[in-house]
Amino acid sequence: MHHALWQSVLGEIELTVPHATFTTWFKNTELVDQNDAGIIISVPNIFAKKQFEVKYNDLIKTTLAKNNITPKQINYIITTTNRNSRSNRETTINTSQQASTAADDLISGTTTTNTQTQTTPNAVGGLNPRYTFDNFIVGSSNDLAYTASRAVAANPGVKYNPIYLYGGVGLGKTHLMQAIGNEILRNDPKKKVTYISSETFVKEFLDYVRFKKKGFSDKYRDVDVLIVDDMQFIAGKEKTQEEFFHTFNHLHQNNKQIIISSDKPPKSIPTLTERLRSRFEMGMTIDIQLPDFETRCAILSIKASLSGVTLGQDTVEYLATNIKTNIRELEGALNRLLAYAEMRGVDPDITTAEGLLGNIRHSRPQHISSKQIIDRTAKHFQLEVSEICSEKRDKYIVVPRQIAMYLLRSELHLSFPKIANELGRKDHTTAIHSIEKIEKAIKLDFLIREQVASIREKLYA
Amino acid sequence: MELTVTQENLTHALSAVGRVANTKTQLPILSNILLRTDGNRLLVAATNLEIAITQYIGAKISKPGAITIPARLMSEFISSLPKETVELKVVNDNLHIKCGTYTSIINGFIADEFPELPTINESSSIQYSIKVEDFKQAVSQTIITTSNDSTRPVLTGVYWHSHEGQLYLAATDGYRLSERRLVATKSDLSVIIPTQTLQEVLRNITEESNEVDILFDDTQVRFRINDAEIISHLIDGNFPDYRQLVPATSETTVTLNKSDFVRITKIAGLFARESGGSVTLTASSAKKSLSVHSIASQMGENTSDANADVTEDGQITLNSRYLSEALSVVDGETVEFSFSGKIAPCVLKSTDKNTNYYHIIMPLKS
Repeated sequence: MHHALWQSVLGEIELTVPHATFTTWFKNTELVDQNDAGIIISVPNIFAKKQFEVKYNDLIKTTLAKNNITPKQINYIITTTNRNSRSNRETTINTSQQASTAADDLISGTTTTNTQTQTTPNAVGGLNPRYTFDNFIVGSSNDLAYTASRAVAANPGVKYNPIYLYGGVGLGKTHLMQAIGNEILRNDPKKKVTYISSETFVKEFLDYVRFKKKGFSDKYRDVDVLIVDDMQFIAGKEKTQEEFFHTFNHLHQNNKQIIISSDKPPKSIPTLTERLRSRFEMGMTIDIQLPDFETRCAILSIKASLSGVTLGQDTVEYLATNIKTNIRELEGALNRLLAYAEMRGVDPDITTAEGLLGNIRHSRPQHISSKQIIDRTAKHFQLEVSEICSEKRDKYIVVPRQIAMYLLRSELHLSFPKIANELGRKDHTTAIHSIEKIEKAIKLDFLIREQVASIREKLYA
Repeated sequence: MELTVTQENLTHALSAVGRVANTKTQLPILSNILLRTDGNRLLVAATNLEIAITQYIGAKISKPGAITIPARLMSEFISSLPKETVELKVVNDNLHIKCGTYTSIINGFIADEFPELPTINESSSIQYSIKVEDFKQAVSQTIITTSNDSTRPVLTGVYWHSHEGQLYLAATDGYRLSERRLVATKSDLSVIIPTQTLQEVLRNITEESNEVDILFDDTQVRFRINDAEIISHLIDGNFPDYRQLVPATSETTVTLNKSDFVRITKIAGLFARESGGSVTLTASSAKKSLSVHSIASQMGENTSDANADVTEDGQITLNSRYLSEALSVVDGETVEFSFSGKIAPCVLKSTDKNTNYYHIIMPLKS
């Protein structure tokens, strides 16, 4: 509501002041709060604040009055774009006599608070301060991971240690892990948080071995929180695994938090030594799945509004329908759309999106054939297509067959009789039963879930 | 507005503020300079909406008033005039300038359109008065390690903060880091001042300057040097907790004459242009020397030695440009250079026990 009101105020002001003045001063302003005491407007910098206080206060007041709002006072606060509404810096201007007491309160509250007391991590600690819980978008596909991460951040080393996150590319594992690190540092800047990728770990270990240095074993042992990204790269490197095993034990015994991510669950990483595997599994193992349609829509809307753009519902849905597999790709498409719209001076609406994303869609086989699905599924389970389509009822064939049916339904929306036909069944009730079974299993059995996700990913790759 | 000033004063003021006036801006008036009478002084000011510079000069004022005029034309014209008195007079938004036998009329623009200059509340802010020499040295020592990567804005400035009763300046670009202790302080301060602002302040320091007065509030900083005032925004955000990066101990400590170190680094740097400045330093306790080695595959190679006290043998590869720049700002005649292996950062500082400065460089992966 604030936003709409402010937009209409800006719309009127835009007509009365020169264009350059408008873009210099009025862009990037926002009405952040409105109550009995007055209204608060955020401005981007000290120059704008002074300008508003001295020169544009009356203009804003009269324009607000036209919208039937007569605030007792208008306060301006400085807010930089990436830290919305967190700033406590404000000064007050009286626009009426009787508000002076409230104004005094505001002023006295201003100089005492300072948002700059927190400490943020840095390049060497490996954390990117932009990844926070606040800008993580939660949907049904990742809310378990999100909740658990929150719990870990609140009580590092106590609950869920280690926490092991896994899922496909671009689904937010790194974001979550960094958010945990950032949150822990925010709560206690003295904590030592280290973020590395397992590849870095391997490389450093090799360097130490090569130059016969001592002290590697201590390198990661005095941290309070160790975050290791992309754990799967440690697979097959036995000496490194052993070294990591000792580091892990040391940290765990001292109740230091360990956070691990990978693209697979510990069980599915080949050549991971048994003792590491069992340790990874002893805390909390959570998968992050592909975001559902609603989450994708939410992500798009939020990302667009962060760029200061409001997208139409149809545009959001169009993008969310066409890009399914990867949040990074989703953001890329959105950025392309916004950049294109800004460059050409057109609205980022559905027509623009269709014109622009045509080639994104064509760059991948949008129309997957039923044959591809069956082929892929067969390949994934190392079966022959003829086996899947045969009459055999061995368990190792039945499950893949059911998964193939499920995928035919979920990806291509084929009718049940058609699905049955594709797999050489006569009766469509077989297909109904199979699909229901897999749908249920996906909710309960992580192995099935992972296999389905993996086949689906390959289909769209 | 009608007044008389000396050509020298006006030229100085125009050149001090003129750099900030920017022609490539959306708001045309920002390429102008504001002239405004202020009591018996003339205020000359320019801003780019990130920083504002104001210079006051003595003037004989017959009629108060204000106007803005194009910065470039005005300062080039005034600086070409002879060293005599200059008469300025505003008639119908135009500035009539008369100096000796030269007269000209420059089309101006009304001063009301000029952005309001930010002001700072002196009573609620934190204040420092710092000797010009200290200020200059401290800022030049830290400003070289600021980053110009706009995606990480907090690193594009110098972090001024209080720590255990002292005011510290620190800056890092992720590859190197510098910290300088400046003065004792009782206030609690933690702000990041943009690099450009500090560069402007350094430029405004003249030979007559004795002290720099600095005033901070939550969102802005003001520097005052003689009759010049520079107001700037501060960078919003939190500076990394860099103290945890400073190595507590080191395996190898090399002590040597600074000018020797500068020379061997410079020579090795000549041969390191192809390899992006990569030079390898080897400390030998047996030979009591620090040797720098660099290879240019097309042109040849170089090894230079300098006498040094070495605690333990060691080797490290660094960017010679970073090393040269660091050596250029470390004070004292002998320096201490310490590192631990090839991966940990190395520390460079003066051997003076009371030194208030250190410089850290991340090694290159060899």
